[in-house]
Amino acid sequence: METAVVDADAVRTSAPSKDDPANLEALFYPQSIAVLGVTQTPGTVPYDIFYNILASGYQGVIYPVAPGKRSICSVRAYRYITDIDDQVDMAVIVFPASVVDKAVEQCGRKGVKGVIIISAGFREVGPEGVKREQRIKDLCRQYNIHLIGPNCLGLINTDPASRLNASFARKMPAQGRIAFLSQSGALCTAVLDYARGKGIGFSKFVSFGNKAGVTEIELMQYLHRDPQTDVILLYLEELRNGRALIEAARAITRGAGAKPILVIKSGRTPQGAHAAASHTGSLAAEDNICEAVFREAGIIRVPSIEELFNTAIMLTGQPMPKGRRLAIVTNAGGPGVMATDAAVSVGLELARLNEGTTRRLRDSLPATANIKNPVDVIGDARSDRYTAALDAVLADPGVDEVLVILTPQSMTNIEDIARAVVSIRGHCHDKLLSASFMGASDVNVGVDILQAAGIPHYILPEWACRAMANVEQVRRWMSQGNGQDPPLRVDAAAAAALLAACPEGYMREDHALAALQAYGLPVPEFKLCATADEAVAFADRIGYPATLRVVSPEVIHKSEVKGIALNLEGPQAVREAFARIQGNVKAALPQAKIMGMLVRRMIPAGHEVILGAKRDAVFGPTLMFGLGGIFVEIFKDVTFALAPLSSGTASRMLREVRAFQILDGARGQAKADIAGIEQALRRLGQLVHDFPRIAELDVNPLIVGPAQQGNAVADVRIRLAGQDQ
Amino acid sequence: MDRKEIQDRVVKIVCQVLKVDPATVKPDSNFIFDLGAESTQSVALVGAFEEEFKIELDGEAALSVQTVGDAVDFVGKYVK
Repeated sequence: METAVVDADAVRTSAPSKDDPANLEALFYPQSIAVLGVTQTPGTVPYDIFYNILASGYQGVIYPVAPGKRSICSVRAYRYITDIDDQVDMAVIVFPASVVDKAVEQCGRKGVKGVIIISAGFREVGPEGVKREQRIKDLCRQYNIHLIGPNCLGLINTDPASRLNASFARKMPAQGRIAFLSQSGALCTAVLDYARGKGIGFSKFVSFGNKAGVTEIELMQYLHRDPQTDVILLYLEELRNGRALIEAARAITRGAGAKPILVIKSGRTPQGAHAAASHTGSLAAEDNICEAVFREAGIIRVPSIEELFNTAIMLTGQPMPKGRRLAIVTNAGGPGVMATDAAVSVGLELARLNEGTTRRLRDSLPATANIKNPVDVIGDARSDRYTAALDAVLADPGVDEVLVILTPQSMTNIEDIARAVVSIRGHCHDKLLSASFMGASDVNVGVDILQAAGIPHYILPEWACRAMANVEQVRRWMSQGNGQDPPLRVDAAAAAALLAACPEGYMREDHALAALQAYGLPVPEFKLCATADEAVAFADRIGYPATLRVVSPEVIHKSEVKGIALNLEGPQAVREAFARIQGNVKAALPQAKIMGMLVRRMIPAGHEVILGAKRDAVFGPTLMFGLGGIFVEIFKDVTFALAPLSSGTASRMLREVRAFQILDGARGQAKADIAGIEQALRRLGQLVHDFPRIAELDVNPLIVGPAQQGNAVADVRIRLAGQDQ
Repeated sequence: MDRKEIQDRVVKIVCQVLKVDPATVKPDSNFIFDLGAESTQSVALVGAFEEEFKIELDGEAALSVQTVGDAVDFVGKYVK
């Protein structure tokens, strides 16, 4: 987004102290660098790294450390880094993995503040590599060294104050305002080549490999303060600390100086996740939980490199639109319709042009032109018509963003039209303007003009629409506040007492219901009754029809042992059901110890939703919401979030499932108690957050009543881990 | 052949192949970290030891030897 001119030195001076984990100045702006393990063989990583630093125009001093060599590229070589008389800020280590620890140890003794380990042969190769990596982590901690890598491509800083290419990428990229962080080194070189072909530049470019020291979180925090960077792009194969990522990303993507973060997270499919796990030597977390983490963090996830950069160029040097109302100006009807379809399908709104705008369009365009949005200036349009149409739609207060489409007819003066678009952008500072000059040959002359002027260009209008939809997500996220919810009132002591009394495994249903009750979930009145007389007395009090459910530690699936009776209309029915269930359970599981029957009043029918919780090994307690009942596994219409939940997240979860329309009164049905579901989700989130022993929890179903009439927990299952959790 | 003789000949080979000053070669010198051996030179070293001592080494094991002292021990196992 548009960035105010900032004095870079002033900003860096105001950066936090050197002890701040995100103070990575020694890595990005070192005054001196030593490259350890350089060889004299061009075309090898150890040589090319040194050569690239030398050739990139690095503004500091560089020292090759190459035992047994007198010089590298005519620069005097040193046997050890400790032989260098001057201070060395940063070291790049390209020695084979077997001696990297020796090199790090010497760096520590030399007082080096930042180290990049390019070498592979660590965590990604198995147990021996894990040990090696731990050793270098320990050394870096001991000597207070910021470590990038190992197993990475390196780091690039295009800022003229540094001009550092400490990587084995083939070429130094152009300077730009996009920062790119990648867990994969090889992808970096492809991305650099792709960006070069598209005329895209970078501010910083980092391959962080095994992230044994500096992680994507510290890098993002550093880039948040970097005056050269407008937008942060991230390629991740695995998330190790989702909660820290959320906290850091929220601080970056909202508030003063907010910057968007876009991510590609590979491993969407189980097969992809397995490949990523093999690749990085780590286990990928479940993709749907990663998705939830990104949403909570305000990070926009995109599926491809193409979309990543398509969106990034729209977020650098362009005004942030005030909404999602799009106007299209085209000289081709078909592409205009295609763009309309694409825009609507990704959630953009086709702007309704006001009367003044349509009058201006009518006055300046031929009678055959379409003066409604999408505005069709007709195939023989030259630059004057584009200028008139763009001036009119950009002046319309109901338009937030404009897409210019061009197809190259024989009379289309492509260059002039491109220049007209550039000129119009010069005096329109509050609306997002992008273009799609469709084709791959004749239009290139116009595309070059647009790109040189910083106007986002897309070969296909559909790509422009997808990018605009992502920008809209950024806008919405940035415009939301960081409001705090008042704390939920819960009886944690009662729940704690219940859990303390339960061993590992599934909780008894009456205990599980009581735990939910303690946390304020809508649990209808119930009682565990040991005798038929007790059951009848309780049913008489709460009213009929009643239900009975067997309670036994040995019975997990009640319906399988015919342990449930529903719709019991009177005392006699309760009495008979009591005896019948006892007989059924004894017949099916003779060893089962029957504690009694759980007696409740029958819950009136309603929509059924599922509220689930699971303790994830990487992210801790996570929540799931979806339409419940027996088809939940088939439709998979569910969504996830990390617990505990804010009211905003609970609200979003509900609205993310397709079934929300049913709850919201589709086809004239009564609206459901949506606020009640949101409350239940938040309370459940608090419960699983407060009690790490809860390994899994399913409320399935929660019967949803009409609006403001309340919901009811019909069934719950809670599995507890051991007491030491 | 005694250990002293093996060590002298190993040091001689190391200096020839890696082109380093004999004064810099110590028993605990690491071929890569202290003497700057590149991967092709490591292979050349193994070949030169075989020729010098008229022996045939287990190549994979030989390449995992880290220091001059270890190389003396390793070659010593093959020399009669």
